[in-house]
Amino acid sequence: MASQSNLGRSALRQTVLSPGGSHRGILVYVFLRGGMDGLHSVPPHGDPGLYEGRPTLAIANPGKSGGALDLDGRFGLHPDLKPLLEFYQSKSLAIVHAAGSPDKTLSHFEAMQTAERGVYDGNDVATGWIARHLISSPLDQPSALRAVAIGEMLPKSMDGAIGAAAFRSVSEYRLRTPAGWSPGFASALTRLYTREGGELGAMGRETLKLAADLEKLSAQTYQPAGGARYPATGFGDGLKETARLIKADLGLEIAQVDLGGWDAHAAQVPLMNLLMTDLAGSLQAFFQDLGDRAESVTLVAMSEFGRRVHENAVAGTDHGRATAMLLLGAGVRGGKVYGKWPGLRRSELDRDGNVRVTTDYRDVLSELVRERLGNPNSDRVFPNYTANPVGLFAG
Amino acid sequence: MSQNEDKVAGPRVTRGALLKSGVAVGLASVSGCTEIVRRVVPPPVPASVPASDANPRLLRLLNRAGFGPRPGDLEAAREMGPDGWLEEQLEPRNVDEGWEVSLRLGSLDTLDLDAQDARDFEMSNYPEVGQGQAAVELQQAALIRAVYSRRQLHEAMVHFWSDHFNISQRKSDCTWLKTVDDRLLRPHVLGKFRDLVAASAKSPAMLYYLDNAKNRKRDPDTGSGPNENYARELLELHTLGVHGGYSLKDIQEVARCLTGWSYHDGLHWQAGRFNFEADRHEAGSKRVLGKLIPAGGLDEGEEVLDIVCNHPSTARYVAWKLVRRFVSDRGSPALERRLAAVFTRTGGDLRAVTGELFRSEEFGDPRNRKLKRPFDFVAGALRATAANTDCRSSLRWLEDLGQLPFKWPMPDGYPERAAPWLSGLLPRWNFALSLVQGEIAGATVPLQELERGLRWDSSSPHARAAATARLLIGVAHPDLTSSLALGPCIRPNGLREALCLTLASPQFQGR
Repeated sequence: MASQSNLGRSALRQTVLSPGGSHRGILVYVFLRGGMDGLHSVPPHGDPGLYEGRPTLAIANPGKSGGALDLDGRFGLHPDLKPLLEFYQSKSLAIVHAAGSPDKTLSHFEAMQTAERGVYDGNDVATGWIARHLISSPLDQPSALRAVAIGEMLPKSMDGAIGAAAFRSVSEYRLRTPAGWSPGFASALTRLYTREGGELGAMGRETLKLAADLEKLSAQTYQPAGGARYPATGFGDGLKETARLIKADLGLEIAQVDLGGWDAHAAQVPLMNLLMTDLAGSLQAFFQDLGDRAESVTLVAMSEFGRRVHENAVAGTDHGRATAMLLLGAGVRGGKVYGKWPGLRRSELDRDGNVRVTTDYRDVLSELVRERLGNPNSDRVFPNYTANPVGLFAG
Repeated sequence: MSQNEDKVAGPRVTRGALLKSGVAVGLASVSGCTEIVRRVVPPPVPASVPASDANPRLLRLLNRAGFGPRPGDLEAAREMGPDGWLEEQLEPRNVDEGWEVSLRLGSLDTLDLDAQDARDFEMSNYPEVGQGQAAVELQQAALIRAVYSRRQLHEAMVHFWSDHFNISQRKSDCTWLKTVDDRLLRPHVLGKFRDLVAASAKSPAMLYYLDNAKNRKRDPDTGSGPNENYARELLELHTLGVHGGYSLKDIQEVARCLTGWSYHDGLHWQAGRFNFEADRHEAGSKRVLGKLIPAGGLDEGEEVLDIVCNHPSTARYVAWKLVRRFVSDRGSPALERRLAAVFTRTGGDLRAVTGELFRSEEFGDPRNRKLKRPFDFVAGALRATAANTDCRSSLRWLEDLGQLPFKWPMPDGYPERAAPWLSGLLPRWNFALSLVQGEIAGATVPLQELERGLRWDSSSPHARAAATARLLIGVAHPDLTSSLALGPCIRPNGLREALCLTLASPQFQGR
């Protein structure tokens, strides 16, 4: 019995090739759920409309106490995003401002669906944009972990994805064999799938290998590298698990990690301070932790919409349109705020008092899919949309 | 929401159905039903497992024209033989669905309600948004019927055509309308294709899902014209197929013919019934696929259905699709030609086409392998282990596995090919582990009865292994049998592990 299972295992090692050897870059997709206020995170301090619309909420001008951290004389960073400033200065952080989707419902649900499906009317397309990317850039070998969503279930961006898994931590992806059975059960299963030909056999072996790898991985305590200290938050944990998966060379191509809670209808300032601290601290730790591996990892953070320019009566803001997108890491031509700034004067806003969208988020993601994920079929990832060039990535 | 509360006393199918089945003694609450089911339903475990492998054709029929054998099914059908089983199953009216089904369906509150009543029921009993009681109960009913109905072939065809005319409960009102749609399609899955298409075309769920309810004549003021969504899918997905030889102009003309096809909405006493709104219908004659359709109101749409259902591309497309679901992902051109010919000769008689399919040589060819989709797997595992369950908790597993019924959001239905499903093996194995260990709420595997039937106590490891394999997959497959015999079947207490390994094996993933 023992010798047979060993035989089975060595055969498995030989026959299953990790797709991790490919030259595609890795994407970490951060969805900021709830409507992240781009005017608060990346304040356009050069635009007087900001201070007119937000007498109590606007971040002060750079140089003043609690003021914005200046980026280019027009825009600044929220002071709690300070850890991101050095990324900007070293040209690995780019910001696309006044970015958004064509969604005009200003419903969280509709707008998230629109963004994650990657189409204007999310009801008409079942698959998410990440799923369509995976389908339109197939691998030679099946893989059980081309994409991972840190969470309980696959997000809409991965609806219809092949080779996507959702789990909150590495230790969750495991064969739930009772203690009394192992390891005989898993090795018998391995033996059966090793003898099975075709895709079913290959996928069974790949799945067993992944479960075993992740089990091994979760048995070791994970020590982030480079002195990285992740905030003790769900988001920090999620990025830590992501770094762990990337470093484990399991063939991961895309990870989605969500950070929710941005729906600041009231008492916005303390809420934003908390979230910005979490966001920036987690991103900083993530890239520190990745070390050399950061050379292949690009991170995008976006939200379903931004918020109204004019603050409301309870020190909050209501659902708006355009917001800021953050791009970090490999290939990003950073140190620049991209996008045509539409202005915040009354006459420059849309009918509802919202910042106009000047860059469709699909312009950014199409470029990313082509330039960083090596998929020339970005028109199949974002159907019925002609992307406008933004020039975010170095060739 | 409060205005609905007084309306909801409405029909409660629960008690009536239970009284009819004569077991309502002491019934105190809806939740008591599961308990009653558990007590009164003896697990159908035979006294012994067959000593030889099943007839391959019979086994394939039970696996593909149904959801896999339950213990004893293969023996019971052995005398009839594959042909006898098939003939009986092709006449579902002559097969009792079985009280195991009616008893379990009786515990569902919304299954027999109209959409408006289901909505009202849900609003008053489950006021939290997103509870989706009606949607969940319909999913549960689909699994109950797959697991327990004796009309296996009928259920397999309902499953197939539900994908073909896919409605997603995700699209707002479809959460209630799909319950009605299911009732509209069921009677026709072995009837005339034309009747099935018409049932779907007039189903409020379809009218809403693909926007035909919004399809109206051109507005001279705004210039907005007919909505082409349903017309396109009618041609592309429901009848001719994407390569069926129609043009954008044909789609537009079909859409014009179908303007005004809608249903009563809101508080109308006929709410949720098909309604032709003549004042929204586009005037004038139309031309569809080369045929002139004179101005005729509702009749124009009926003529469109005649034209598309009689089109040779439709015969080919239906054959193409049936073969991919029931024979092979790769297809079988010769069989497809024969099925298309039967379809044409019989005027789209689905009983004739389905019979031809399952009688064909290609269907029985061992090289034509198919993978169980998650729904086939879960239903098949519950059947193979004689599990006694209300089928509710298994829905969460179907969601994990990616095939919760009626949730596929696109009009093309869940994918049939094996590829998209192969990434989900781990949750299948974990489902098997949970089921066999009794960790799925409301699902019990009768281990003692199975142990007796397998003669576990008095047999050698090899005999145990062969019996376990035959019980669950019909044959003592050599790889599986040797793995079982060298592993769990050595141990006196190894039955759970043996069942689990078999359900998790590549052999059980096949159909």
